Amino acid sequence: MTTTGRLVLVVALLLPAYASAQSIRVSSLAREDRVLVSFELAEVYDADLRAAIDSGLPTSITYDVDLRRSTTLWVDRLVATARVTASVQFDNLTRRYQVTVMQDGRTELSTVTDDEALVREALTRFQKLPLFSTSVLEANSEYYVRVRAQTRPHTSLFALPWGRGGVLGSTKFTFLPR
Amino acid sequence: MAVDAPRRAAPADLPAGARALRRPFRDNPVLILVVMGLLLAALIAIVGVVNRSVDLAPDYLSEVVLYALTALDLAMLAVLALLLARNIVKLVVERRRGLPFARFQTKLVLLLLGSALVPAGLVVAVGGEVIRKSAERWFSAPVDQVLASSREVASDYYEVRERAVTGTAGALARRLAATSLSDSGLAELGDAVRVDIGLGRVGLVEVYRVVETPSAVRVEPVVNWAAPSLPRGYSAGVADRLAAQVASGPAPATVFEPLPQGGELVRAAALVPGPPGGRPAGVVVASEYVDADLARHSRRIVEAYEGYQQLRVLQRPLQGVYLAFFGLTALLVLLGAAWLGPYVAKRITRPIQAMAEAAREIGAGHFEHRLVPDTRDEFGGLVDAFNTMAHELSTSRDRLEQSRRDLERKNLEVEERRRYIEAILERIATGVISVNADGRIGTVNGAAQRLLQLDGSAAGRPLAAALSRDELEPLRKAIERRVSGRGPDPGGQEVALVIDGRDLHLALATTPMPSQDGIGLAIVLDDVSPLIRAQKVAAWRDVARRLAHEVKNPLTPIQLCAERMRRHFSQAPEPTRALVEECSTTIVQEVESLKLLVDEFSQFARMPAPRTVPSDLNLLVRDVLSLYRDLLGDIRIEARLTAVLPLVRVDPEQFRRVVLNLVDNSVEALRERPAGGVSGVISIETEHDPVAAVVRVVVADNGPGIPGGDHARLFLPYYSTKQRGSGLGLSIVRRIVVEHGGNIEASDNVPRGTRMTIELPC
Repeated sequence: MTTTGRLVLVVALLLPAYASAQSIRVSSLAREDRVLVSFELAEVYDADLRAAIDSGLPTSITYDVDLRRSTTLWVDRLVATARVTASVQFDNLTRRYQVTVMQDGRTELSTVTDDEALVREALTRFQKLPLFSTSVLEANSEYYVRVRAQTRPHTSLFALPWGRGGVLGSTKFTFLPR
Repeated sequence: MAVDAPRRAAPADLPAGARALRRPFRDNPVLILVVMGLLLAALIAIVGVVNRSVDLAPDYLSEVVLYALTALDLAMLAVLALLLARNIVKLVVERRRGLPFARFQTKLVLLLLGSALVPAGLVVAVGGEVIRKSAERWFSAPVDQVLASSREVASDYYEVRERAVTGTAGALARRLAATSLSDSGLAELGDAVRVDIGLGRVGLVEVYRVVETPSAVRVEPVVNWAAPSLPRGYSAGVADRLAAQVASGPAPATVFEPLPQGGELVRAAALVPGPPGGRPAGVVVASEYVDADLARHSRRIVEAYEGYQQLRVLQRPLQGVYLAFFGLTALLVLLGAAWLGPYVAKRITRPIQAMAEAAREIGAGHFEHRLVPDTRDEFGGLVDAFNTMAHELSTSRDRLEQSRRDLERKNLEVEERRRYIEAILERIATGVISVNADGRIGTVNGAAQRLLQLDGSAAGRPLAAALSRDELEPLRKAIERRVSGRGPDPGGQEVALVIDGRDLHLALATTPMPSQDGIGLAIVLDDVSPLIRAQKVAAWRDVARRLAHEVKNPLTPIQLCAERMRRHFSQAPEPTRALVEECSTTIVQEVESLKLLVDEFSQFARMPAPRTVPSDLNLLVRDVLSLYRDLLGDIRIEARLTAVLPLVRVDPEQFRRVVLNLVDNSVEALRERPAGGVSGVISIETEHDPVAAVVRVVVADNGPGIPGGDHARLFLPYYSTKQRGSGLGLSIVRRIVVEHGGNIEASDNVPRGTRMTIELPC
C-alpha cells in the first residue's frame, strides 16, 4: 500500500472514532399551538465530562434545535431554530453544582445542588420543551426536528473543522392541527 | 598583461532587443524579505499565544486557538499539496517537453524537499514526544494527593461550619415554633441568641415571617441579632432570598456569602413550623462568619486543586496546540522548501536558460540579441560576460563580413588579373606552360602551342607525354635537367629545335611554383629565332662592311694599274699588246665586278633606318606589280589582295624593294624551271589577321622550290640557289622586314614551289 493509501485509511478510521458513540434521542409533539420537543443525550456524561465538571471548569452542553421541512431535490427548508444551553459549574469548596439552563438566551433554570444525578439530568435530558410555535407549520405537512449537541470545553486533541458538528439526532412528525 | 574586463552593461547601454530576466514580484528581494518577515512575525505571535495557552480560557483555548491552529495546519497542508502538485505537474510537463534544465530542476527540487522533509519530520516527531513527556511530568501522584487532601480539608471545614450553622438555625426555629413568632417569644429568643452570640456559636440571626398570598409565598423580616464583631457589609438580600427559597419549597438551606472585607458568611435557613397541618410560621436564617484569612486560604487551595484538575482535563487540547504549532512549523519548512526548490532552481537555471536561448539566437545570426542582468552576483557577471561575448561576436561578424567583402573584391581583382594575364599569355609571343606538382600540364598558352605545335589537349597530360615528339626532345631534356637541378642557371637557357624543317631557337626559363600540393613549375619559352637571325645579320653586316672596306680600297689601284699597263703596252708588239689588252681588260672587268659586289656589300652594310608612314600595302603591292606588266612572257602574276586592309606603318620604298626582290626571286626561279613544264604562276596575297594583329603579305610561286633543309639558311648572306647572285637579296629583305617589326618565313608551296610569308604588325 502506498503512503497516500495508508494516510487515507488512517483518516477513515479516525473519523468514526472521533464521532464517538454518543447519540441523541429526539421526539417531538405538536400540542396546543406549540411544538414540544424532548431529547436526551446518551453516553455523554462520561468520565471526561465528569472530570471536566469536577475540575471546576464551566461546562456546558449546547443544543441547537432545528425545525426543518424536507424538500425534494433541494436543501431542506429551515423553519425555526432554538438553542438550549445547559451549563454547570462545580464549587469544590462547598461541593455544590451551580446548574443553569437557558433557552434562546432566557434563563429557564438556575439552581444550586449537590446532587450529581440532578446535574446529569439537567444537562442531558429535556422533556417537552415548547420550542416552536405551530403557527409556522403547515397542516398535514411532514417536518423533522434535528438536534445538534456540542459539549464545551472540547477536550479532544485536535479540533477538526468537520468534527465541530457534535452529536446529531432527529425525529420526524406530521403536523395535524386539532 | 592587460585584460579587458567585461564591462557591466547598464540597461541603458543595452540595445532595444535586450531581454530582461527579472520578474517583477518573484525577483523582488525586498518584497520577499517583507513576506518572510511577516511570516516570522506571525510565527512569533503564534509562539506567544502557544506559550500562554495554559493561561487561556478553556473555551478560547479549544474553540479558538486549537481550531485556528488546526485550520491553519490544514490550510497549509492543502497549500503544500497544491504547491507540490503544481511543481510535480510542471516538472513532468517540462521534462516531457524536453525543456532545458528540466532534469536539473527536478533534482534540485527533490533535493531541497528531501532535505527539508527530514528536519520537518523531526520537528513533529521530536516536538510531539517532548510535549507528551512534558505533559506526563505536569502531573504526579504526590502533588495530586496533596492537592486533593488539601481540598478535602478545606471542603470538610466548610462542611463542618455549614452543619453547625444549620444546626443552630434548626434549633432556633424549633424554639420559635413554640412561640409562633410572638413578641414574647422573640424576646425570649433574643435572649438566647445573645447568649449564643456571646459564646461565638453564631454571628448573625435573622427571623422572617412567612406571608402567604394567593399568588405566591413571601417572607418579611421580623427581627435580627448580630454579633458586634461581625464585619459589616453583608447583604440582607442574600438572607431574604434564602429565606424566600426555603419558604417556597425544597431548596438548599445554606448559602455562602462572600463579604467585601474578606471572609464569608455561612448562612443556613430553617423553617419555623406553624400549627400542625398548617403552613410554616417563619424562617430563621443563622449565619456564621468564616475568617477572611481562612476563607482566602481555602479558596486558594481549591483554586490550586481546580487549576491542577483543569490542566489535566485540558491536557489533550494543550498538547494539540503544541502539536499543531509544531505541525505548523514543519509545514512552513516544507512549504518553504517546496517554494524555495523551484524558486532556487529557476533562479539558477533561468539565466542559463536565457543564455542558452540567447546563444541560439546568436547562432541563428541575431547578433544584436542581449540579456539584461537582473542580479549583481556571479550570474550577473556571467550575463555581462555573455553580452560582451555577443558584442565581440557581432564585431567579429562585422569584421568577417568586411573581410569577406574585401576577399570577394580581391577575388574579383584576382580573377580580373587572371583573365588579364590569361589574355596576355594568349596574346604574347612568349610561350608559357604551367606544370602542376604532379607533373601534369596545367595550362598552355597559345604562343607555346604555336611554337611547339601542341594542341589544346596538352593541358592535363603529363609534361613528358606532351613533349614526347622527337623534335621536342631537346626541350624535354632541358626541362628535365632543370627540374632535377642538373641544368644550368634557371635564368635562361637556349634550346634549338627543328620543327617542320624550320630552325627554332627558344630561350627556356623555368620557375618553381610552390603550392599546397607541392612544387609546380612555370616554363617560359621565348622565341629568340628572330633575335638570332638579327644577330647573324648584324654579324654579316659587319663582315660586309669590313669586306667592302678591305676589298674596295685595292680595287682602284688594281684597275688603274691594269689600264696603265694596257696603255703602256699599246705600242708594244701585237702579240704582247693583244695579251696585255686581254689581260688588262679581264682585270678591269673583274675589278668592276668586284666593285659591284663591294657596292652591294656596302649597301647591305649601310642600309638606312626605315622612315615609316601609314601605308596601304595593297597600293604598294600594285605599284610593284605594275612594273612587271608585259615583261614576264609566259609567267603569270595573280594578285589576291584582301579588300579591307588596315594601314601599316612601313617605309614605302623599302617595302617596294622587299616585294620587288621577292617577285624577282620568283621570276628567276620560274625561268630556271624545265621547258615544257607547267606554266609559271606568281601569286601575291594580302590578308589581315585581327587576332594576331598582323597583316600578312604572301608571295608564292610554283617554281622548283627550295631544297630541303635550306629554308633556314635562305636568309643568310651569300646563300643563293642561283648561279649568279650575291646571296644578299633575301638577307636585305629579311633585314627590312625585321626592322619594321615584322617577320618573314619561307616555306614550301603546295603542290610545288616556294612560299614567302611576311607578317607586319598593324
